[in-house]
Amino acid sequence: MTDRSIDTKPRRRSFLKPDFVRAMLAGHSALGLAFAALIYIVCLSGTLSVFVHELQRWEQPNAPLVEGFATPEMLQQATVNAHKQAVADNAAHDLFVMGPGGVSPRLQINYHDHETGVQGSWIGDAEGNLDRRVVAPWSEFVADLHMVLHLPRTWGLFLVGLTGVALLSSLISGLLSHPRLFKDAFHFRWGGSHRLQEADLHNRLGVWGLPFHVVVSLSGALLGLSTLIVGVLALAAYDGDQQKAFSVILGPQPSADETAAPVPDVAAMVRQITDRQPDAVFSSMNIGHIAKAGQIVTINMRSPGHLPFGNPYAFDGSGKQLYDGGFETGSIGQQILGVLQPLHFGWFGGILVKLGYGVLGLALTVVTHTGVTIWLARRRDQGRPSPGWERVWAAVGWSQPLAFGTTALAALTGGGGFLVAIYLATFAAAFAVAGVARDGGATARALRLLGAVAIAAAVARHTQVWGAQISDPMAWYVSAAMLLCALTLATPVLLGGRSTAKPIAEQA
Amino acid sequence: MSSLPIDVPVAVLIAGSLLLLAGTLVLRKSWRERNGAKPMLRFGGWSLVAAGFAVFCQTLGGEFGTAYALMTLSIAALLVVAAGMEVRAAKPRSARDIALEPEDRPTNWPRAIAKSLLAIVLSGIAAIGLGVAFAVAMPLEPTDRIVIGGLLVPVLWGAGMAWTLCDAKLVRATILLIIVSVVGYGIAFLPKVLT
Repeated sequence: MTDRSIDTKPRRRSFLKPDFVRAMLAGHSALGLAFAALIYIVCLSGTLSVFVHELQRWEQPNAPLVEGFATPEMLQQATVNAHKQAVADNAAHDLFVMGPGGVSPRLQINYHDHETGVQGSWIGDAEGNLDRRVVAPWSEFVADLHMVLHLPRTWGLFLVGLTGVALLSSLISGLLSHPRLFKDAFHFRWGGSHRLQEADLHNRLGVWGLPFHVVVSLSGALLGLSTLIVGVLALAAYDGDQQKAFSVILGPQPSADETAAPVPDVAAMVRQITDRQPDAVFSSMNIGHIAKAGQIVTINMRSPGHLPFGNPYAFDGSGKQLYDGGFETGSIGQQILGVLQPLHFGWFGGILVKLGYGVLGLALTVVTHTGVTIWLARRRDQGRPSPGWERVWAAVGWSQPLAFGTTALAALTGGGGFLVAIYLATFAAAFAVAGVARDGGATARALRLLGAVAIAAAVARHTQVWGAQISDPMAWYVSAAMLLCALTLATPVLLGGRSTAKPIAEQA
Repeated sequence: MSSLPIDVPVAVLIAGSLLLLAGTLVLRKSWRERNGAKPMLRFGGWSLVAAGFAVFCQTLGGEFGTAYALMTLSIAALLVVAAGMEVRAAKPRSARDIALEPEDRPTNWPRAIAKSLLAIVLSGIAAIGLGVAFAVAMPLEPTDRIVIGGLLVPVLWGAGMAWTLCDAKLVRATILLIIVSVVGYGIAFLPKVLT
């Protein structure tokens, strides 16, 4: 997180010795370069994932919105209807209901059977009826790119978790190689030396966004590595039984008793909670092994002034409460567990917090990008430029907005069947552009323009497809934000060299 | 967002944000001051930042208040940084701009592979061992020791990565990480072995 391109006038001795700083810088540089592409992709897709509920609404802008929070009656109706539909779809095993009012004004219902592999996602109305199936392939593509990089789930989670660890490590080494952390905290020089400009951008965004960077990398790493950690813990203390280990921290899990049982009375369960806590509102609910004797209903209810999505209360099928997660007022471990996801995704405080997370997520993405451009500029300064790597990094960096544009366009045009293939093809095409472009700067300019065109085309296609059917105003806001992104990508290229700093490739 | 179980009054948002913005502006003046330290300015800056935090926490509660204040501080400081941007004309680098360079180390493929194994694999093994040892052996409630032990893993792994990559002595790092792993897994699996 640092390139100490600052004045060398005599000054007070720093508490970090120069040799230590140089060694830290070497480690920071090696780690950053090794993980740069992965960190960059995870950060950029993570920034988009903050708005995944808004993107879902953009993709289905005529679906019903529900005012306020879910009522017990609405939930009971939704559960019964969803179970019927899940039986019809041969997927009646686990059911998840996300209520309106928390992160999105939609009632969303998902069910899946891990044995048959069948799943279904629906949007419900205010009465708890299943209104229509969720059709949001692009949002799903973006979220999966961030969470598992479209790899098999176990491997994807591990790799993203490892990327989080690498990011956390870079933050530690970056901080330790920045002896003038406070003195330079507001230096931002634009123009002149390209390396100095990039270093200032890298350091200022890195240092001032540090609380956010630490929180998202730490929580992301833990979320990604949790299966591995709990696996080892289960071996050490739970006879290798991972479910038993998970149940210690997440509450009771459904048992294997598959005898038929009635659909649980979730309305009564919600009332049980609100009788004790009148200010608690419904957030989400999970029913494991629905309508089976071993079913467990976990209801997450949120109280005012707390960050977690909700405090989990678990019930058996008869309505007997078995567990209170303590996410809001329990022990320190329970409270940490409760804030991990809200703090990672920025879904705890409405659109203002989401926008803040968007800005800081973008800042972290820029920190990653400039980390490599500083290394490339340093090599030029030292008289050993790497034009090949300059092209490669321009292709990696600027292919992503282009790929998000092409996949959005494809999702709107032909559905979600080939989005991963289109993403990879766009990536490959970006490298082809880098192969024929004059240098890294030309590669970046070409890809930025193409990215802007692709994103604008996706917005145009969206308007053409949905046009008069749009009933959710969020669709217009998302389209406007996408056009703003396209404009931000294209403007510096079209204005041509507004920056007074010479691009890397032109400094030879 | 009135639909959330927290109301954020606009007045609080503005007051807290302005205090944080003012605090960062004063800190900027203090840290950019070339003629010696300005302790009063620095104190004033941090006081304004603290007042901003207090406004957020007092009104929104500790959880929301801290989260909002930290996020707002980051964005306010970045705005101050952007507002103070110094635009320079393209020119050759002066001696004053020479950077402190990373240590130049001789390297080769075997060494690079060994470093990667140390930073990614052995550091990870050691960190998981210590985290699980904490989760098994600490005298805390089960949820507390498991969650805190789990949280320790990425922190220790990241710190291990940073250390092994900066330490030029591979053997030293290897021996220390092996010792840490043996101790960690020893503590974690000892109860199971003894029963």
